[in-house]
Amino acid sequence: AVSVLYFARSAELAGLRCETLSVPREITSLQLWEEIVKVHPRLAVIRDQVIFAVRQEYVLLGDQVLVLQPGDEVAIIPPISGG
Amino acid sequence: MEESEDVPKDFIKLKSEKLSVDEVSELVVSPSCGAVSLFIGTTRNNFKGRKVIHLEYEAYSSMAETEIKKICRDVRQKWPSVKHIAVHHRLGVVPITEASVIIAVSSPHRVESLEAVTYCINTLKASVPIWKKEIYEDEYSWKENKECFWANSEK
Repeated sequence: AVSVLYFARSAELAGLRCETLSVPREITSLQLWEEIVKVHPRLAVIRDQVIFAVRQEYVLLGDQVLVLQPGDEVAIIPPISGG
Repeated sequence: MEESEDVPKDFIKLKSEKLSVDEVSELVVSPSCGAVSLFIGTTRNNFKGRKVIHLEYEAYSSMAETEIKKICRDVRQKWPSVKHIAVHHRLGVVPITEASVIIAVSSPHRVESLEAVTYCINTLKASVPIWKKEIYEDEYSWKENKECFWANSEK
């Protein structure tokens, strides 16, 4: 089980800021997105604008295989606007 | 002041209280430096003709601090004479004209600190997980920095 963190628009669409999710230990980033959208279908509208941060490293939604450990943080990162 | 107290330092803070230019400048002042350069990002009252009431910021705080540390490390590689770097970013509500970010860099001569400050703010906008919401009279909008490579280009 990993910790999924939601920020900005993704937190509004999901209706929460964090939760625990059970996912396969090895999974592509796109498959991980699809698992999350199953739980929060409203997130589908932002699919083309988000990336992940897995263990605080940015990961695009795609074929990259993630190896996840229990307790790993996965964050949904909408387009940033700091500064 | 002892020599050991003047080792190069990075001062990174995310906070909800009002930012202080005096405080941030004083963090980077150094007897070996002749220059302190500053950038202050302040809240504008308008965006494309719409009146902005205030801004609200949120952050993935632990990762934001890590990303800002990476920026500081990059600055020191590119401008080795840079002494101290301070980056303070405000979170939560930021009223119009107040500062949302202050960046200060000290160096012996002015060229390096001026260039380093520019690099810091430009890279912060491209890589640090902080989000800004513009609050208008009737609605709000999550902003997207043009530096952010995963934002859709403006339609």
